[in-house]
Amino acid sequence: MADTLAMASPAAGRATARRRAPDAAQRRFRRLALWPTLAVLAAIVGLPVLYLLLTSLTPFTLTQPGTESDFSQPLRNYMLLGEDGRFWNSLWVQAQLSLFGVTGQVVLGTTIALLLHRRGKVAEQLRGILLVPMVLPPVVVAIIWKVLYTPDISPVQWIGAAFGWEMPAPITDPDLALASIIVADTWQWVPFTMLMVLAALQTIPDEYMEAARIDGAAPVAILRHVTLPFIAPVLVVVALFRLVDSIKAFPLIYILTEGGPGSVSEVTNYYAFLQAFNFSYLGYSAAVTTVLVLATVLVSWCIHRYGPAEADHG
Amino acid sequence: MARARTSDSLAWVGIALVLVVTLAPFLWLVMMAFKPAEDIAAWPPRLFFTPTLEHFATLLRSDFMRSFGNSLVTSTVATVAAMVLGVPAAYVLARMERRAARRLGFLILLSRMVPPIAFAVPFFLAYRYTGLLDTLAGLALVYLTFSLSLVVWMMRPFFAAVPPALEEAASIDGAGPWYAFLRVVLPLALPGVAATAILCFLYAWNDFFFALVLTRTEARTAPVAVVGFLNYEGWEWGKIAAGGTLVMAPVLIFSIAVRRFLVHGLTAGAVKG
Repeated sequence: MADTLAMASPAAGRATARRRAPDAAQRRFRRLALWPTLAVLAAIVGLPVLYLLLTSLTPFTLTQPGTESDFSQPLRNYMLLGEDGRFWNSLWVQAQLSLFGVTGQVVLGTTIALLLHRRGKVAEQLRGILLVPMVLPPVVVAIIWKVLYTPDISPVQWIGAAFGWEMPAPITDPDLALASIIVADTWQWVPFTMLMVLAALQTIPDEYMEAARIDGAAPVAILRHVTLPFIAPVLVVVALFRLVDSIKAFPLIYILTEGGPGSVSEVTNYYAFLQAFNFSYLGYSAAVTTVLVLATVLVSWCIHRYGPAEADHG
Repeated sequence: MARARTSDSLAWVGIALVLVVTLAPFLWLVMMAFKPAEDIAAWPPRLFFTPTLEHFATLLRSDFMRSFGNSLVTSTVATVAAMVLGVPAAYVLARMERRAARRLGFLILLSRMVPPIAFAVPFFLAYRYTGLLDTLAGLALVYLTFSLSLVVWMMRPFFAAVPPALEEAASIDGAGPWYAFLRVVLPLALPGVAATAILCFLYAWNDFFFALVLTRTEARTAPVAVVGFLNYEGWEWGKIAAGGTLVMAPVLIFSIAVRRFLVHGLTAGAVKG
């Protein structure tokens, strides 16, 4: 910065020359402020990921000492992954959870944002209130839905019974278990899409809307040709963020279905958890996790590359 | 005109519906926490009942309060550590050249994105060897994996909003960079510091996964304790609901306190702050 200024005008050059000494202090300050943080990040984020990669190359199990440093067949775990039906199933479950969850959240969130994009005190207050699910601890969200899904105490079941509908117990039904997790996840995260889309809607210049209206465009046409193109980039970023977070799905599955019945709601993240902490196959779990990390890096890179310029400050 | 009015009232019906679906499940749990045990099991479920504090009283007498304390301690320690390390770093990044900052920004984004399971196995093994398993210190340390990058990410725009001319003026007056930072820039970014600290606390408070994997009994946190009620003590719904209510109470109180800044933190990198 100072150098560019110095080149720009002789007067500024004199000013920088006078500030030479503080500049060194400035550099020392920057080093001191930045390096400890980077060092800590490297130690608690970088090292563990490296350790994870190394562990994924071993047949490490807690019950057999010595296995943690056995690198004789480094790619064995990855080979096993190919034949592991449960792993492939978990990827498929993950794909469904991500696809339906993210789509539902984006569509519903956008719709609600369009409904609430209006002036006035009431709409403003409502926007705040509707954020509640998003700030709740995931454990609490899971408990809320556990109550709603448990036949004996669920008010939803009672409403169903009042209308004479036979309501199944969703979390123990193989056909509905995954769907009930998607519903709970969507309930918690629709507000996120709503929030982001509302922010984007506020940036649409009034003249665009005016012009379209004066030209006699129908509301649907305005939505399609003005509003949606304008918020499209935000929708992409929101979808990518939610996609990454859906890979982390854990408390809902742990509390609502434990991956079951069978393994119909067992996502890859949960499968890696079971391999490590229920079966003690840490090496194999590390290999599963490595696949997940690679997927996350890919999505993050997309956000970084294609997201709006502000998104890169992660 | 009449058509516009119809579509407007339809929109309000939609909004009302959204409001009910959003709030009813959450209010139902809070209500359950105050229901007498016999009313919880009542069929049809009762909307009106005489509120009771019996479930909270049971919790107060149990181990749960210790878990609640553990949650408070680990979240606070992680927050303070992340703020001390992260705030100066965020300031330097805000003043750095754009390209370098962008590259570092990507690394920080990545550390937010990596699924916690990737840290669980390495930390679990390291803690087994070092004896940090089931300790408050170990849990607070693992929380830094996400809170540090959160602090850096959240504080940067606050510092970017402070004109560099102020520091330049301070340094012309002979102030060192530390003085300029602590006495000139930081006070101006104080609302941001407060909001960031609270958000950081909430993220740690909301954690379930790390506490589940890295603690047993000594350092167990409140969310894990509540889930424990589900697994081991049968179906004491009143106790579960009361525990859930206690776990969400700080979150709701703080969220109301920082709702203006919340938007920025929750959207974590996706919109301009």
